[in-house]
Amino acid sequence: MKKAVSVMVLVAIAAIGLLCFSGAAMADEIKMVGVITKIEIAGKDANTATATLKDNKTESLIVITVNDDLTLDKFKDHRIVEGDEIRCKYEVIDGKNVSKLFRKTAGC
Amino acid sequence: MKKTSVIAAMFCLAVAATTAMAASEHPGKESIEKSGYKGPETCEECHPGTAKAFLDTVHWKHASKVTNVDGLDPKKEYGMKNRVYVMCNGNDIVNNLKEIPKSPVTGKSKFTGCNTCHPGNHLSDVGSTGPEAEAAIDCLVCHSSDYDFRQRKAFKNEKGQVVMGQDRSTKAALSINKPTVKNCMTCHEAAGGGVIVKRGFSFTKDTDAHAAKGMVCADCHKAKHHKIPTGLDPNNWANDGVLISCADTSCHGTKPHKDADLNRHCAKIACQTCHIPRTGGAFAKDFTVWEQTPDKFYEPTTLKKEANETIPVYAWYNGTVKNTAHFIGPKGSRKDGKSKITPFKIFQGKAYYNKQTGELLSMDFAPPMSDGDTRAGVLSAAKTLGLKNPEKIAKEAVPGWQTIYFGSNHLVTKSKALFCSNCHAPNGVLGFKDLGYSDKEIVKLTSPELYMEKVAKKQKEEW
Repeated sequence: MKKAVSVMVLVAIAAIGLLCFSGAAMADEIKMVGVITKIEIAGKDANTATATLKDNKTESLIVITVNDDLTLDKFKDHRIVEGDEIRCKYEVIDGKNVSKLFRKTAGC
Repeated sequence: MKKTSVIAAMFCLAVAATTAMAASEHPGKESIEKSGYKGPETCEECHPGTAKAFLDTVHWKHASKVTNVDGLDPKKEYGMKNRVYVMCNGNDIVNNLKEIPKSPVTGKSKFTGCNTCHPGNHLSDVGSTGPEAEAAIDCLVCHSSDYDFRQRKAFKNEKGQVVMGQDRSTKAALSINKPTVKNCMTCHEAAGGGVIVKRGFSFTKDTDAHAAKGMVCADCHKAKHHKIPTGLDPNNWANDGVLISCADTSCHGTKPHKDADLNRHCAKIACQTCHIPRTGGAFAKDFTVWEQTPDKFYEPTTLKKEANETIPVYAWYNGTVKNTAHFIGPKGSRKDGKSKITPFKIFQGKAYYNKQTGELLSMDFAPPMSDGDTRAGVLSAAKTLGLKNPEKIAKEAVPGWQTIYFGSNHLVTKSKALFCSNCHAPNGVLGFKDLGYSDKEIVKLTSPELYMEKVAKKQKEEW
């Protein structure tokens, strides 16, 4: 009986630990630099958009969800357009790659 | 009586709302809708003489006479147009907007140059004058909130000249107003080679107390006839001759705090010292070694941090500037009666120096951007400037470092401002020894004795 309780406690601790760890991992920021291949935004009043970036290192296509007003505004007036190279930080939240930083690499 | 007050209040609100709406609506829209937008000539219908006057501003000339910097000719004009320093190693003259040589890897070219932000069309370029220049001004890039930036791209015309496009649509012209933060930051945020590189700040509600209050750049940089007030940043030389100050009576005044002890600090400590405790942006660059980017072009090696991620250095500053080939920074001392302890963003850059004269050389970015050959960039710039023996100069050029103290005047905070103990403590942020204080003075300056009673009383009140 005592042994069974100990095993159950250990399993519970391990499960909690695993949950905590995976939660933290999901919230980790991922950094990438890539070129925009597609921007999807629903009109001038949109408060979210997606941008597909081709990762410079892996060449894989990553769909980024953009919610911040500054970047959305740059999509709307085309200060950021397809073909621009972007330095991006994002977090995976509910299965979406949500942008935390989205900047053109170029300047003058 | 009560009812009368309510009606009066409602009336006042209605008047205020109507006034606010009227203020945000720029007059003349009907005329623009009817006749379309034809560039500055449309603006001139209501603002006669403005285009000509604009040609005499720093935004158009990228230069002005400079009176506070060592070693400059007071009769000549200096600025982005012609300066040589290590944040931008090129300038409008040597690194003029052009199509760079094709990349040997991809065979592709691109347009680039220091003057891509100039509000002309490049045919009428930095410092140009006359009717053609007046007609070339891109009023809307600063004054429209609905500008289509797809139009503002460099292209070659039928004569092979490089032209900077403009959005002169009626749609853009119908959204004219006082410049918003976006209008200013379109150019100013990406200066020096990328976003938050040169100045190291962003102007958002999260990073600046003024932005959090809904203020825009033009609320402090309040222009008159397009002359923009600026501060005395040791590295921002060109100016329109109008100074900006926190102590302006319309802003904070000379006694900005309720506490007399804090106001006493204002005599020797710049506002920025306590209220801008962080900086950001590029802290080092190497123009002698360019890194290949994923598009196979090259960029100078740049080390940078985000806004609020680096710590400023502090020095006495009286508004005059030491300017040598290896140092650009504040002059001043504890005892000159004019200086204040001021924070600066430190930047160090490596570039080529003339072996014979020791002068810092400038660089045309087109050659190194194409294939990484930095000495070819020095050669091209030397030729453009008409230096004698350009090939010899480029071949023998010696790499070296220059340190620059940039003014740290944004990222203002009230809630995170420095507190007594941040400075008045051993290892405090100010470094009293370097600022010229004696060991005996430092013992006094770093003791809680200075503020103990007062802060204890305040702490008791708060809790």
